[in-house]
Formats: sequence, structure tokens, C-alpha cells
Amino acid sequence: MLEVTCLSAWYGEAQVLTDVSLAVHEGEVATLVGRNGAGKTTLLRCVMGLHRSLEGQLRLDERDLDRLSPNARARAGIGWVPDDRGIYASLTVEENLTLPPVVSADRAWPVEQIYEAFPALADRRASMGTQLSGGEQQMLAMARVLRMGSSLLLLDEPSEGLAPVIVQRIGEIIRQITDHGVGVLLVEQNVTFAATVADRHYLLAQGRVVEQLDNAQFQAREHELLEHLGI
Amino acid sequence: MARKTKSAAIAACMTGALVLAGCGGGGPSAGGGKISDDKVVLAVLNDQSGVYKDLSGPNSVEAVKMAVADYQKKYGDKAVASDIEVISADHQNKPDIANTKAQEMYDRQKADIILDVPTSSAALAVAGVAKQKKKLFIDVGAGTTELTGASCNKYTFHWAYDTAMLAKGAASQVKNGGKKWSLVYPDYAFGQDMNKSFTSAIKEGGGTVQQSIPTPFPNDNFATFITKAASSKPDVIGTMAAGGDLINFVKQFNQSGMRDKATLAVGLMFITDIHSLGVDQFAGTTFTDAWYWNFDKKNREWADRFKEKTDTRPSFAHAANYSAALQYLEAVQRAGTDDSDAVVGELEGKKLNDVFLRDGEVRADHNVIHDTYLAEVKKKSEVNEPWDYEKIINTIPAADAYEPVSKACSL
Amino acid sequence: MSAFIQYTLQGLAAGGFYALAALGLAVIFGVLGVVNFAHGACYMLGAVVSAVLLDVVGLHFWPALVIVPILMFLFGVLLERVFVQWLLRLDVLYNFLLTFGIALVLVDLVKRRYGVSGLPYEQPAGLRGQLHLGSLSLPTYQVFVFAFSMLVCVLVWLLLTRTRIGMIVRASTEEPERTRALGINVNRWVTPVFGFGIGLAGLAGVLAAPFRAITADMGGNFVIILFAVVVIGGLGSVLGAVVAGFLVGLVEAYGQAYASSFSQIAIFVLMALVILVRPAGLFGRQETA
Ligand SMILES: Nc1ncnc2c1ncn2[C@@H]1O[C@H](COP(=O)(O)OP(=O)(O)O)[C@@H](O)[C@H]1O
Ligand SMILES: [Mg+2]
Repeated sequence: MLEVTCLSAWYGEAQVLTDVSLAVHEGEVATLVGRNGAGKTTLLRCVMGLHRSLEGQLRLDERDLDRLSPNARARAGIGWVPDDRGIYASLTVEENLTLPPVVSADRAWPVEQIYEAFPALADRRASMGTQLSGGEQQMLAMARVLRMGSSLLLLDEPSEGLAPVIVQRIGEIIRQITDHGVGVLLVEQNVTFAATVADRHYLLAQGRVVEQLDNAQFQAREHELLEHLGI
Repeated sequence: MARKTKSAAIAACMTGALVLAGCGGGGPSAGGGKISDDKVVLAVLNDQSGVYKDLSGPNSVEAVKMAVADYQKKYGDKAVASDIEVISADHQNKPDIANTKAQEMYDRQKADIILDVPTSSAALAVAGVAKQKKKLFIDVGAGTTELTGASCNKYTFHWAYDTAMLAKGAASQVKNGGKKWSLVYPDYAFGQDMNKSFTSAIKEGGGTVQQSIPTPFPNDNFATFITKAASSKPDVIGTMAAGGDLINFVKQFNQSGMRDKATLAVGLMFITDIHSLGVDQFAGTTFTDAWYWNFDKKNREWADRFKEKTDTRPSFAHAANYSAALQYLEAVQRAGTDDSDAVVGELEGKKLNDVFLRDGEVRADHNVIHDTYLAEVKKKSEVNEPWDYEKIINTIPAADAYEPVSKACSL
Repeated sequence: MSAFIQYTLQGLAAGGFYALAALGLAVIFGVLGVVNFAHGACYMLGAVVSAVLLDVVGLHFWPALVIVPILMFLFGVLLERVFVQWLLRLDVLYNFLLTFGIALVLVDLVKRRYGVSGLPYEQPAGLRGQLHLGSLSLPTYQVFVFAFSMLVCVLVWLLLTRTRIGMIVRASTEEPERTRALGINVNRWVTPVFGFGIGLAGLAGVLAAPFRAITADMGGNFVIILFAVVVIGGLGSVLGAVVAGFLVGLVEAYGQAYASSFSQIAIFVLMALVILVRPAGLFGRQETA
């Protein structure tokens, strides 16, 4: 469903992505693994339409994304969980959840279902966004794209700083939605977690895709990869 | 082709619109070689765009042109100055701009006299230039007593008013019952000067000043200052605010409910201020006026002529500029030349009378004194026609209207 | 004591003008990222339009209180469509040049048409005189200005916190880019929000008409204090704008009452202190500083 072809991106003069090509298919989890500064977040921002200094092609379900504004891309089905979670301080938990539009009524989780899945959020629905703990914010950011019913999720390090139980819970949710045909592009430094949810992996180094592995290969080389990542 | 020539002629005429006489005349001027550059140039330097635009500004240029026309009508062929030009410039109330413009007017534009120049710092700057160039300067718009005090010089005259005269006029109401005063003044040179003049004039008149309250300048919120001024229960609250600040002050004074408890005396007010705020807001306010258009038949006739030209009624500054220009031209006529020293000689010590100057006299310090008036703003119900805003309560004879000749001045 | 209460009321009334205008400035900055240096000129225009409508068609204060802000809203929409929208993609320097330029043009046009010595305005019916509360008598108009500006601030607050539009405005204020990425067409709200901000400045102008000199220059001094208000409150913070507006009004009044030579300096001392202690302002988010 998502096809990235020969994508290069710059910050001013500095090139941070070079000829990146990758694809994410329906019902599939692909991860993007690489050191800090490899360009993972930049790639997601390019897909979202927030980073404009780029060359190459981005297509969603055979449709060119080039000319679409970020909000049109979100409405076309791309859901973004940014690396800093992106919870609004001036909105309550419930407002944070209901701010974005529902883009697909079939896929969207009703608010009640979300509170069932994340009871911690239900308790705090009237709190302001910033009063949540880091873990709760992360859950809220996930919950927000689930409620939109996006068909492609861009998850930027969703397990970062979370307790193992919650990471596990997020893993379950990812599997649950991919069963319904949602595609996921997962940026992850937690190699163990990546291996438990993903089908395929792209290794990104200095803005280039250096390797593409299926999950079996990935698990076999876990130690080597950990070293490469410097984790 | 013919059409082109015609429009070119119109254009030429437009650019020459300020040239009031000598258009196509070409004959030898009556004064022969007595007139410098064969032309007398009167330059009006004032605020053409800012806060003092309405009270003087472009309409003072019109008033000066009226004086030129009256002079030419009076003397006809016998006029010493047969070719007279009126020029003007905007000094934006800034002393540095006034300085350069004045030099430019005297040197390049061959001005024989500069008129008006409101804003004290700008007036003092121009007085310096006049002294250096040995050319005449008659100030109308500025209020500082320094022009005829420490900074006086042979070529500078001060025509209409100064801060001491405003204070003396206002203090004349002490004898009408206004004994206890609170003063509110903007905290810069003019305001401080006014505060001092008023305090001493009120004391001299037998009154007391309970409080003197400085305010920021400019300022749009006077409510607190008014409450403070009222706290000592004065008979009169005096404000030295001017222009937009004055309007702020008066609106807030009225809303404070003080109007029933104390008289409001305004330090410096022009009829244009009353007009812009509406007579109702000012009703009962007292102030010193140098001249009022509807005072007598003579003033009124002149004001009617002014209205034909400008579609509005004159402030005292307009009339004073007319008077200054007229008396200058009369002095040129008497001297038979526009030579500065000769004209100064024809002005010094003279008793003068015209529509503006009543019992006027050019004093040794070049302060031109005349009768002044304590005015009260009418109630709306008393107003009979547009601009009919003032009731004259006291006429202050010229001899009592000003401070004596300053010892600081030596010409 | 009674003098103190009067000073307090005077401060709150003056604060009402600042709060309303700063509120407009804050939502505009929040959603557009544009600092509107023409805000003082729009305040002036609100007062001038009220005076002109009174003179020409006899529109009195009460209807003007509704109609003039609507006209100013439309004027804001026009400004945004014709000029301001082009700024959104440009360096902030252009923001300053354009909005400051607009202010100069507006001030000059008003001068040209209506002169410099100001326009007359009546005391509104029903708001003349004094309110007597026990031994205290307070100017009715000042009480009204305070109460009315408070009411408008509360209404705007409800609009912002209780409606979906308000939620979108708050989200766009906080993170315009992220809000786009969540599927919200922020651009659609840009024009009405700009108009709304200008409408609030115009409303402050209408309130000022019976109370202050209506001159082309009346916005000049006002806008300087207004910027002190938004800096103290936190640029882009709606609550900050309101609280700081009233705070600055009070500081001004107490300063005038108890240390008159320092009353205006006091505001800027307060501003400097706030910047030292909380660089993003009292209610600004500190990381944006
Ligand atoms: N706003 C920015 N301006 C300039 N350089 C940036 C900016 N954001 C990121 N970079 C640089 O781009 C490279 C890629 O960053 P990023 O995409 O955040 O990497 P990752 O998410 O893989 O850690 C890094 O070298 C980083 O320093
Ligand atoms: Mg990253």
C-alpha cells in the first residue's frame, strides 16, 4: 500500500536520506531500524508531508502523495504517532483523542473500545494532556490513530520508555489491527520488540537502506544487529 | 498639439500656484534694487501632518496668503514688495528637521522670513538659525518663554502667546472664586514649564496650589491621576495636557464625576480641540485664549473670509500667522526694503493694531504683547452656530497679560 | 481605602482594553504564527469607525458594540486574503514589514480623511454618571468596561474550551504542523481566526470611543503596551493574554497612583522580571521560548 521510491531528503545543504526505497503492504508490519540520526524520523515526516525538501516518489494505494497536503494525507488513511508523542498540553485526554477526524468508519475504534483497551486513559479522560505520564501519553498517541481508523500507521519508536507490560500490550494491538488489513511502518530501536511484531525489516544507516531482512533472518542476526545499532 | 500646450500651461500654473503676484507681470518692481532677489519670500514652517496640523498647519499658510493679498490690495502700485511668494514645509515637530528646513528656506529658497514653527524645541532651533543667517523669524505656534528670554535674539519675535501668558490668564479666575488648585502636567519640558508658570501665577493671584501631579507623555489613561487630583478637594483642576492627551483627559474627567465638583482649567487649548471633542464634553471648562473668531465684528469679518478659503473657522494660531505676516509686510513697506536690519528697526518698539493684535506692542525683548482673554466653553444649548463655542469672561489688558521683560534677554 | 478601590477599578477598566486586544493578538499569533503589528491600528479603526458611523448614520454606542466588531471582522478577512496569507510561507522579517506597513498606511489614511485632532463621540446613554455603592461612587462607564470586557473574555474562553472549533483553534495554536498531520485543515481556520482577532481589537476600539481621544495616533502608544502584555502573558497563550491584560492595567493604575513618574516604567519592569524568571511568559509553554 505504501511505496517509497528513491527518496532523498535534505535539511538545508545536509542530505539526510539518499535514494531510499521501501514498501509496506496491507496487513503487514515493516520496521525501520537504525542508529540515532540515521534518518528514520525524517523518512516518516516525508511520508506525512511535513518535510518538504525532498526528491523521489511517494505513493499510497497507487496514488501519488506529492501534491497532497499533510491533512489530506491523514484523511487518505495515514496515521502518525510522532516520536515525541505529540499530545496537546491545552487539550484534555478526551479532546486529544477526538480531535482528528474519523477517516474510515469501518476501521475506526469507537471511544468506548479505546477506553476498554486502555483503562488508564479512561480514568484520566478529563485531565489535561500534559498531566499524563510518558507511558500514558504514548498510549494516547496510539489510541488517537486507532480512533481515526487509519489504514497505514507510521509509528515512531512507540515502545520507547515504556514498561515491558505496556510494550507487550502495544504489540498485541499491532497484531490485532494488522489482522484487519492495516499496514504498519514501525521505527524501532528495541530489536527484541521489533522481532516479535514485524514481518520485514529495513536497516537504515546514514540515510541509506543498507539491508532488507525477513523476520527469520533478522532474529538470527539479532546480536550482530544490536552491535551495529550500538544499543 | 494645442491640447498638449494647454495642459502644459495648466501644469506650469499649478506648480506656480504659490506665486501670488507678478504672474506674467514682467515689469520692473516698484522697489527697484531694494528688494533682495527682486522678491519677498514668506516661509511657513510648521506641522503639516502631525498633532498640530489642524490647529495651525496648512490653513496657516492660507492665512499668510490672505495677509499678502490684503497688503497688495492696500498698496497696489505703491507696494514696495511687488513680487511676493509664500512657501511652506513640514517640520514634523522635530528640532533637527526644523533646523535643516530653516537653513534650506533661508539659503536655497531665499526666504526673507520664517513664520509659525510650533513645538518649543523646534522654535528654539529655528531662532538659532535666524540669528546666524541674520534673517527674520516670527514664532507663533510655540509656547516657550525662552524665545524672548535666554535665547532671544535680534531677528526673532514671539507673536501670539507663551506659557507665562497662559498662566496669567488662567490665574485671573482666582478672583472669580477659584482659590484652591490641583495641577496635572505631562512630565516633559513644556509641561514642566507650564506647571511652574501656573504655580507662580496662581500664588501671585492669591490662590494656592495643593498638588502638582506629573503624568507620562504621551498617555491615554488619566483616570487615576484625576482621582488623585480630586482627593484634596480643589476648586479648580488644571491640566497641561495638549492635543490627543487633552481629549483623553477631558473624557475621563467627565466620566469621573468631577465636573460637578470642580472647574476644569485647561492650560493650552485651541478651538480645534473643542471642535474635535464636541462642545458638550468641554462645557464649563476655562482657558486662556489669545484670540477668538466670534469675539467682535472685526474678528468675525476676518473669520468669514478665512472660512471662504478653508471651509472652517480659524484658531488663534491662524489669525496670529495672518497678523505676523501682515505686520512684517507693513514694516517692509515702511522701511522701503526687505533688508533684515531695516525691517527689525521698523518693528521694534512699535504699537501695533490689527484683527489679531489689540493694543499690541513689540517689546524690547521682541515679545509681542496684546490683550488676552479668559474664555469659558459654552454649554451645548448656548451654541448658536458651528464653532460658536466660547464665552469670554475676562479680557486681560496687554500690560497685565505677560510677565515683565525678562532680565535673561539681551539683544 | 475608597481611593484604593477606585484605583483598582480604573486599573481593571484599562486592563479590559488590553485583555480584549491582546486576546485577538494571541489567537492570531497562535494559529497563523503572525505577530500582527497592525493591531493597534485596528483598535484605532474600531474607534474611528464608531465615531464616523455615529456622525454619518447616527449609529449609537449600543448597536455599534455589535456592528463595528462585525465590520472589523470583515476587514480582517479582507486583510488576510489580500495580504497576510502570503506571509505564512515567508521569513518572520516580512511579517514585521508587512503588518507594520499596514499600520502606517491605515494611520495615514485616517489622518488624511479625518485630520489629526480627533473625532467627537457622545457619552453612551445609560452609562453616564456614577454608580453609588455605599460611601463609594464609581464611574458607571468604567464599571461597564470592566464587566463587559470580562464577559467577552469569558465568552471567548467558553468558545475555545467548549466547542469543536475552539478545540481545533487550541490545537492549531499549540502545534499547527502536527494538527495538519492529524487530518485537520488548519488553513481553513486561518482566515476566520484572523478576522476574529481583528474583530476583538475593533471591539476594544468601540469601548475606547467614549473614554479616550479618537485620533489616528491612538493605537501607537496602545500597541506598545499591548506587546508588553503578550510578552508577560506568553506569546500565543490565550489565558495569558487575558490575565496579563488585567495585570498590566492594575500595575499601570497603582503605578500612577503611588509612583506617578514610574507608572509606565513599572509595566516594562514587570515585563523584564517575567522574562528573567519565565522567559516564555507567565502562561507560555517554556520549551517554546
Ligand atoms: N530540524 C533539523 N534540522 C537540521 N538537521 C536535522 C533536523 N532534524 C534532524 N536533523 C538531522 O537529520 C539527521 C536524521 O535525523 P532523524 O531523522 O531525526 O534521525 P533518527 O530518527 O533516525 O534518529 C540527523 O543527523 C539529524 O541531526
Ligand atoms: Mg527519530
